Amino acid sequence: MSPRGLRPLVVAVGAVLAVAGCAGTTGPAAAPPASTASSTPSPSASPSPSPSPVAPTSSLDPASVPEPTGVRIPALGVDQDLIGLGVAADGTADVPADFGDVAWFTPGGRPGARGPTVLMGHVDSTAGPAVFYELRDLTPGDTVELTVADGSVATYTVTGTEQVAKDTFPTAAVFGATSADVLRLITCTGAFDAGARSYTDNLVVSAVRSG
Amino acid sequence: MSRTRTALLRTAVVTGAAGALAMTAVGPAAAETEVAEPTTFSSAFTAMATPDMVINNDGAATPGQPGASGTFTYRINSDTEVICYDISLTGVTPPYQSPAKTATHIHQGDAGQAGPPRIAFPNPEDDGTGRLVSSGCLQGPFTTGVVADGTDTGAGFTLDQIEADPSAFFTDTHTSAYAAGAVRGQLTAIPVGGVETGAGGAAATGSQDGSTGTVVGVVGGAALLAGAGAVALRRRALQQ
Repeated sequence: MSPRGLRPLVVAVGAVLAVAGCAGTTGPAAAPPASTASSTPSPSASPSPSPSPVAPTSSLDPASVPEPTGVRIPALGVDQDLIGLGVAADGTADVPADFGDVAWFTPGGRPGARGPTVLMGHVDSTAGPAVFYELRDLTPGDTVELTVADGSVATYTVTGTEQVAKDTFPTAAVFGATSADVLRLITCTGAFDAGARSYTDNLVVSAVRSG
Repeated sequence: MSRTRTALLRTAVVTGAAGALAMTAVGPAAAETEVAEPTTFSSAFTAMATPDMVINNDGAATPGQPGASGTFTYRINSDTEVICYDISLTGVTPPYQSPAKTATHIHQGDAGQAGPPRIAFPNPEDDGTGRLVSSGCLQGPFTTGVVADGTDTGAGFTLDQIEADPSAFFTDTHTSAYAAGAVRGQLTAIPVGGVETGAGGAAATGSQDGSTGTVVGVVGGAALLAGAGAVALRRRALQQ
């Protein structure tokens, strides 16, 4: 669907390699390659196949709906269970200790309730690329599937990517509550500050519920 | 405890951001001292405000404006008593109305309960697209203009009370048609600042897969052994 429709397929091959390399040093980061070879649409029928779907809205308390338990990004070959994390003692976002893990922000939104559902994964470790290394290659129209605790699958369609400086991080725009059922995927990007061992920027991919 | 973050580039960047905020601040200084955005925050909170959450002063459910919703996001520096607000309403029809100085508040009260206002924020105004927005930063001590038992309901309130128990606070906006509240939502914690999702080193330490197009910079010095170590090191700069 995207103007660069072929690109995700090319990327998928590299992503599988990257995740496998990461797995060798940081733990299990299994990415079943068989399911990533084709850009299969979501198993659940999508009511709005348009590249710019409008997310459904909800005022439901996220605590009243099941938790997301897994994420699959066919274009990147990512297929991971989710770990739940919240706010660290210093006020910043807790992030996975394992560079192969993807975290969802538990105090935030959930599929089927108010948004945003926020996923966070490392772009790399000192050993090499990590689980969200290829996140920047997602393009509008790519799909992200969240498995939910009740066994259902919520499909989201990527609408855009933004690079934001951590020093002026747009907290309200990224983590602020939304009535729309939206998903945000966050990793690091930008220049690397070797002294702080930290990137200067975050990459934020936005997606809206499409199935 | 002081949370002095030391980052070299921040000062210049934030100065620009603060200037932009000052220019876009909505309306007159209807409430507390309007201040520039601080360089650091100790906490942040958001609320999805909806009509079904509205409770009147007698504690009875009193639905607000049908179809309306609001996102209220707050960033707090509890050391300096500064709270920055980013409020966006859709489907709320002014005029605003409240016995307080403004009609947009943080109240102290659990879900399903009424409670006194503690902070009054400038009311959201049309940003030209039909959305009602209000953003800026206020520095306490806070007053609301609502007097109970001879004392302003903001007196004695400090921002660390929100940090101690955000779920005991809600935020809302009141209009003449929905005086008990057009929309209301409880506060929930969200992170401050950026997300530390990279430790670097893919290029410098010799990645095995020969990836190209990397945005990873060069890592100097000894490589950290574990991810937890990298996170801890970064966090040390955020504390004390």
